[in-house]
Amino acid sequence: MPTLTIDNQPVTVAEGTTIIQAAERLGLVIPHFCYHEALGAAGSCRLCAVRIEKGPLKGIQMACMIPAQDGMVVTTLDPEAVEFRAHVAEWAMTDHPHDCPVCDEGGECQLQEMTIAAGHGTRRFRGLKRTYPNQDLGPFIVQEMNRCIQCYRCVRTYRDYCGGTDYGTFGSRNRVAYGRVTAGRLASPFSGNIIDLCPTGVLTDKTFRFKCRSWDLQEAPSVCPHCSLGCNTLPGARYRELLRVKARVNRAVNGFFICDRGRFGHGYQNHPQRLREPHVDGESVSWNDALAAVHERISQTTEHHGHGTVAFLGSRRATLEANLLLGQWAAATGCTRTVYECHPEFDRIARTVAARLGDQRRSPGDIQRSDFILLIGAEPLAEAPVLALAIRQAKRNGARIVILDPRPPQLPCAFEHLPLTPEQLQLALEQLATKKFKGWTRDESTTLRNLGKDLTAAQNPVIIGAGALLGAAGIERLFDLVDASSPAARPCGVLVPLAGPNSYAAGLLSNGGPDFDDLLDAILNGMVKTLVCLETDPFEDYPQHGRAQSALAQLESLIVLDALPTQTTRHADIVLPTTVPVESDGCYINHEGRLQAFAKVLDPGLSVAVTGGGDHPPRIFEQSAPGNLPRPAWAILAEILKLPTETAALRQQLARTDNRFAALTQIHRAAEGEIVTAIGIPPRPQDDDGAVESSVPGSLQLWPIDTFGGADIFSTYSVHLDPLRDEPYILLADEDAKQRGLTDGAGAVLTSELGHLKVRVRCTATIPAGIAFLPHLLRGATAGFVPGGGALSCTLKSVEGEA
Amino acid sequence: MSPRMSEYPQVLFKNRVPGETVLIDGYRTTGGYTALEKAFKELDPATIRDQVKRANLRGRGGAGFPTGIKWSFFPADQPGEKYLVCNCDEMEPGTYKDRELLKADPHQLIEGVIIAAFALQTPVAYIFIRYAFEDCAANLDRAVAEAAAAGYLGKNILGSGFDCEIHVHRSAGRYILGEETALLNGLEGKRPNPRSKPPFPAVRGLFGQPTTVNNVETLANVPHIINHGAEWFKGLARTLEGAGTKLFGLSGHLERTACFELPVGILLREVVEEVGGGVRGGRTFKACLPGGASTPYLTAAQLDTPLDFEPLEAVGSRFGTAGVTVFDDTTCMVAATLNLIRFFARESCGWCTPCRDGLPVVAWLLDKIEAGKATFDDIDMLKDQFRNISGRSFCALAEGAMGPVAGLLNHFEQELADHVIKGRCPLKKK
Amino acid sequence: MELLPENQQEFFRSKAAAIAHPRELVIDALRAVQSHHGWVPDEGVTLVAALLGILPIEVEEVATFYDKIFRRPVGKRVIHVCDSICCWTREGEAIFTYLQEKLGIAPGETTTDGVFTLLPTCCLGACGDAPAMMIGLTTYGPLTPQRIDEILAQVRAEVSA
Ligand SMILES: Cc1cc2nc3c(=O)[nH]c(=O)nc-3n(C[C@H](O)[C@H](O)[C@H](O)COP(=O)(O)O)c2cc1C
Ligand code: SF4
Ligand code: SF4
Ligand code: SF4
Ligand code: FES
Ligand code: FES
Repeated sequence: MPTLTIDNQPVTVAEGTTIIQAAERLGLVIPHFCYHEALGAAGSCRLCAVRIEKGPLKGIQMACMIPAQDGMVVTTLDPEAVEFRAHVAEWAMTDHPHDCPVCDEGGECQLQEMTIAAGHGTRRFRGLKRTYPNQDLGPFIVQEMNRCIQCYRCVRTYRDYCGGTDYGTFGSRNRVAYGRVTAGRLASPFSGNIIDLCPTGVLTDKTFRFKCRSWDLQEAPSVCPHCSLGCNTLPGARYRELLRVKARVNRAVNGFFICDRGRFGHGYQNHPQRLREPHVDGESVSWNDALAAVHERISQTTEHHGHGTVAFLGSRRATLEANLLLGQWAAATGCTRTVYECHPEFDRIARTVAARLGDQRRSPGDIQRSDFILLIGAEPLAEAPVLALAIRQAKRNGARIVILDPRPPQLPCAFEHLPLTPEQLQLALEQLATKKFKGWTRDESTTLRNLGKDLTAAQNPVIIGAGALLGAAGIERLFDLVDASSPAARPCGVLVPLAGPNSYAAGLLSNGGPDFDDLLDAILNGMVKTLVCLETDPFEDYPQHGRAQSALAQLESLIVLDALPTQTTRHADIVLPTTVPVESDGCYINHEGRLQAFAKVLDPGLSVAVTGGGDHPPRIFEQSAPGNLPRPAWAILAEILKLPTETAALRQQLARTDNRFAALTQIHRAAEGEIVTAIGIPPRPQDDDGAVESSVPGSLQLWPIDTFGGADIFSTYSVHLDPLRDEPYILLADEDAKQRGLTDGAGAVLTSELGHLKVRVRCTATIPAGIAFLPHLLRGATAGFVPGGGALSCTLKSVEGEA
Repeated sequence: MSPRMSEYPQVLFKNRVPGETVLIDGYRTTGGYTALEKAFKELDPATIRDQVKRANLRGRGGAGFPTGIKWSFFPADQPGEKYLVCNCDEMEPGTYKDRELLKADPHQLIEGVIIAAFALQTPVAYIFIRYAFEDCAANLDRAVAEAAAAGYLGKNILGSGFDCEIHVHRSAGRYILGEETALLNGLEGKRPNPRSKPPFPAVRGLFGQPTTVNNVETLANVPHIINHGAEWFKGLARTLEGAGTKLFGLSGHLERTACFELPVGILLREVVEEVGGGVRGGRTFKACLPGGASTPYLTAAQLDTPLDFEPLEAVGSRFGTAGVTVFDDTTCMVAATLNLIRFFARESCGWCTPCRDGLPVVAWLLDKIEAGKATFDDIDMLKDQFRNISGRSFCALAEGAMGPVAGLLNHFEQELADHVIKGRCPLKKK
Repeated sequence: MELLPENQQEFFRSKAAAIAHPRELVIDALRAVQSHHGWVPDEGVTLVAALLGILPIEVEEVATFYDKIFRRPVGKRVIHVCDSICCWTREGEAIFTYLQEKLGIAPGETTTDGVFTLLPTCCLGACGDAPAMMIGLTTYGPLTPQRIDEILAQVRAEVSA
């Protein structure tokens, strides 16, 4: 641990820390362009010059390139260094178009800041400026090359860090430019990060372009709601509209990065179909009338049918606060059937994870440091995209990545892949744990046996698996394998992406209670007459749509709190409009058990762009904003329960009533969130072990799966993500396609118990024969095919005349 | 020919006949490949490295780093992949000695490469050659084939158990490829930006493996050192600390512009007045670049400087590649420097700011001064650009670009001022 | 026009398969396409990537760095005129002007008959023979207007033959 002196202040840092990082520890920002904590040093911009007065290399040196050494004496204020830094800024600005007034980066531009910090103010160079044509990089990112300072951060982000393959550096001398070989959308699902990492206005957010100056934005620290990983974000809004999302730093979770789903999937907040007013029996009513109606229906139900005939359904996307309050409300009505997840298989998985994760939980930050990552039935790019980025960093650090999965893996790094069928995955999980290999070809057993050995030998292994293919039984086996691979000295890590941003909380809260299947039985048996749904859509999310529909149709009252229309709100007797996450404070617990708070960015309300019809200022003047009736679900529930409707006081109350969540009182201050260490109750044992029924000859085993395009409700309501959404396709083995006279790209009709569906064929050699995959498009053509409900049997025929 | 040419021992050029290329038979008749036989049969790698070190052979690529010392850092005994790379990028204006050597006598290099590869225990060697030297590349292809046929290349050379293969890599332009780490990126098929050092190529070079990079002329000297010994080699130089002969490429306003092999330490005056036949048309010597485009100018006052590393450093310049470009008294040194800076700015790889964006500023200033549109503020700005680019770039290219600017500011300040005062170039005929 | 004859494509494919770092062939492959096709079009970049099993972006990043890889159409012969210091001392500028006048084109342009493209280049390593130029892969110097006339006539004859 070397101790050095920078500007007369001593600082002790870890071995390998560079001078620029050591200075940062002292709160000294040495001007820099090319250095970035996540990307490291390139030494190209030369802005970070300091003088080393004592040390092995004396004189003017680049602070980002030189590791701190014991006894080093550094000054950042040396006149030569100061003069040089001003020159670097001057050079960087020679070709700059000076168009800051119309540049979206203005106000948060590192070039502006560093130019000032470096002391360059007056232009001396009067020669001709070099100019560039721009390239169309697709719907997300605008390029304005003339503003480039050639810091190479974008390529280092896109290619090196994110593993993208279609963006690079062209040319040489002062004509270096960046882009794709041909114009078009950047293909990496992490493309938007170059917007954050580019220190200038070359790369800006196209969905945000010219909407607002950055200093006019309302911003607050937030957490991405689009998957269970819980990336930290900084959404920005103005005039009652969420305009953009940037990554916010959380070194344990997402580092400096988010995925394009999280970044560009913000259109839901201002979606024209947002639920804006309380409704009772299809009539728009006031909040007072709506809450009175809720009260009345619930008392009526209990009066007519007895205690316990009202049931409550919480959810993976409602906040922890709201889910907790729902539980309190249920208890108050004498309800014994509170369920927190409407997909029973995902419910079991969440409970298993909450019960068994313990100290073996691994964050993406931990995963970057792993030396052996085994993915079994997981597709990070769909289930928790930023996890794929963490795996890539592990690979860059030398880790071995092995994937057991029937699908062709999409990871943005090199890996070893063994295509096993879903049944074989179960077998592999079991036998890797018992180390007895049966039922394999000789090659397969050797591979698996070696894999088992390597897993044992690894220093810091992590096993990752997800529910869509493994099911609850598979996830239990996965934990058995983790236990079997965890000698006391070196526990094996595990990560299981869950169904939604707050699934972990749902798993903890269920406390051994019934699941949604039990609840549906109770409804069908007439034991439950009224159901309260908290931001959940059992009509769509429960895998067997028919069963859900017929059960829910028997209810006397369906009371739904939600922000966007769903099948469930359409069937509801009472609809209470809630806010979306950016419109309220709240907490989620991510899939590693990390409790994270987000803060309100903006109040709900119809955006000025809508109400003003393009006029500015809008011509309607009222005391309150139009469309501002939605309220945070927790605030509605707190009011019903006569609890405080102010965040801090409410969190105090919740922490007192349930001490597993004691961290709630402090959580808004925790930079990296707080791990909830409480252990959940595992699901009841189940006889069905997820085996697939043997199928009719000529049929395929069809597995619905999620894709990056997003199967969460928020992304499906975001138009910006449309280019990422696949049209329905079926993915199958070359030989299966050939047998049916189908080729890659051909049109086909898929027939299953859910009827007929037109799909496009995608085939590859690596998929095992007999199985096929269908992307789940929530609210879309394949809505009925919910992942995690096991496989369906289907047949596939070619369509004449389809190309 | 210079009357005194016969006084200069010819080692590298001893076989040279203008317009002809020596093939393997011709090469062998004057002792070619005897050093190789000796090395493989009588010497072990460590002894060869030691001899080269004792001979005080200094790199001929421009930096002049002692070859023996460079080789002593090389993990020759470490098992695994290792590489020897011969640098024939030769793109610094005024430098054309490697080309002359390869046009005349390519086997010298092949023999040198094989001995060096043996000394460093690198079974694979690359010769990196620039686009414009297709004539030399063809000579090398042929020489490699001849050497292989003669059993000097391939498996188990001369029964030594040592294998060696040589690849001739043809490049596609750009001066920066001559910088050794940029060259390695270029060989790997990556963007040829220089790499940061450390790690040095001896630790992590080509394909991430230990690599030694040497210039053509450096390696061509090796067989002669093996044959005649370190003392003989040192004795070839005219200075005490110097060693060997040197290929001098003469150019500019001289009567004779050609490449000559001359003793290290020969006086600049002798080179200009005798070997070069004096300034063209009987004009007066004004200045010269003593060692290629990146070396600060010398003036007539420095004609008696011995051309060797230390003496040239003592007068504020560098030996560089020993490409001597002479300017007569009609030359505008601002215009000459502008030409040089334009070269460096155009050949910048674009990695670091002082070079990529700083050199165009210097070119703009010089252009303005030369056009007579500058003020004394511009001369001050030229000085502050010089001060801030020197020693501050990522690699030595921009550093080299400041060489002529240093010479201009040191020796021709009055000429700069005259441009401002007269509002035009004082040397341009009207 | 064909980018690269099949036998050469096969040569690169099999060599790439046989070596540890196929990317090292990228300049060779680009030069092969260029010498066959005259210049490297977008499809040439994709072809080289496919032959070597590397990404098109990796090829393009390299192709655009080097000045002797032509990513835009050029005439049948490219004339590279040295504009560096030694040629400059020996009337290189006048020679460049003469060439422009003689060919009726500015630097970067191609003659209307499609035979010559004129480009400046840095030192050709022919400083002893200054002023110098390179046509295709052949270097010429020292140049005088008369020499240039002869050389151009000779190259034109070769091209049309
Ligand atoms: C911009 C630049 C260009 C260079 N060009 C060459 C060159 O063309 N040939 C060469 O041998 N060395 C060149 N060098 C020097 C090499 O980096 C390296 O020092 C040399 O090849 C080592 O060989 P040596 O020790 O035998 O001289 C160049 C260096 C720089 C910074
Ligand atoms: S585009 Fe932005 S990130 Fe990329 S080099 Fe230019 S300024 Fe840097
Ligand atoms: S990985 Fe998940 S949490 Fe992170 S930005 Fe993407 S969708 Fe949001
Ligand atoms: S000094 Fe910088 S820009 Fe110039 S060639 Fe070297 S690395 Fe490239
Ligand atoms: S920040 Fe150190 S060189 Fe760019
Ligand atoms: S300067 Fe023209 S060939 Fe060297």
